[in-house]
Amino acid sequence: MSAPEFKDGLIKEIPNLRAFAASLSGSMQLADDLVQDTLLKAWGNSDKFEPGTSLRAWLFTILRNTYYSLYRKRGREVQDSEGTYAERMAVHGNQESHLDLADFRKALAKLPEEQREVLIMVGATGLSYEEAAEICGVAIGTIKSRVNRARTKLAELLSIKGLDDLGPDRQSAAAVHRTSSEPIRP
Amino acid sequence: MSGMKIEMPEPNGGDETDFEAILDPRVQESIGRSLKAHYDDLINAPIPDKFLVLLAQLEAKESRSSAEEASDERP
Repeated sequence: MSAPEFKDGLIKEIPNLRAFAASLSGSMQLADDLVQDTLLKAWGNSDKFEPGTSLRAWLFTILRNTYYSLYRKRGREVQDSEGTYAERMAVHGNQESHLDLADFRKALAKLPEEQREVLIMVGATGLSYEEAAEICGVAIGTIKSRVNRARTKLAELLSIKGLDDLGPDRQSAAAVHRTSSEPIRP
Repeated sequence: MSGMKIEMPEPNGGDETDFEAILDPRVQESIGRSLKAHYDDLINAPIPDKFLVLLAQLEAKESRSSAEEASDERP
């Protein structure tokens, strides 16, 4: 792969890297430092990337390793002193989904890292269970169980344990995501 | 956060089909939607220029050094 091609590939992945880094570290500022480190390492090791394989998965592996070896402790310190990005970040969109999203982010931040990272990978980034397993260096069954535990824990934190708890308030709040702000009456 | 959990063998030998059934599909769907909303909001944030500048610098440095290697003009 030529340098310009590789560079274009990296640029395309920057939004995903930032989103994953922010989800992992809980801070946008740390996320950007983490992405910068990841880009530098990726560039320096570009000969180790196998063309035809997933660049995203390769970059996530670098980013994740960098996070666990250098950033995790800093992440906790930043969160303690400044609060997480979930509490600070400006969110686009209407007010209802803003509130919904803020609640969700607080709950997401409470998950153990090992559960949060895999939930993000398979639930939002488009990576497969296989790729997530490879990135984390664990078996696919472990990924599946972490994802399930993460979902169960989130449901608990958001108080949506079962059918009975999925009351009209929650349902209309969820509907706001997809439709107008007009509440739906059954 | 209370430190790392020690990796334990999965109760169902890693097969989570039973576990999956515990969560109502509608709850799962709701979580999935929120997860997407969270991630898409982050994805859609504009890319800071510094990353593009950094990559442009790396690329320029590489093409400069490979040009030097090829012609070997400098002492």
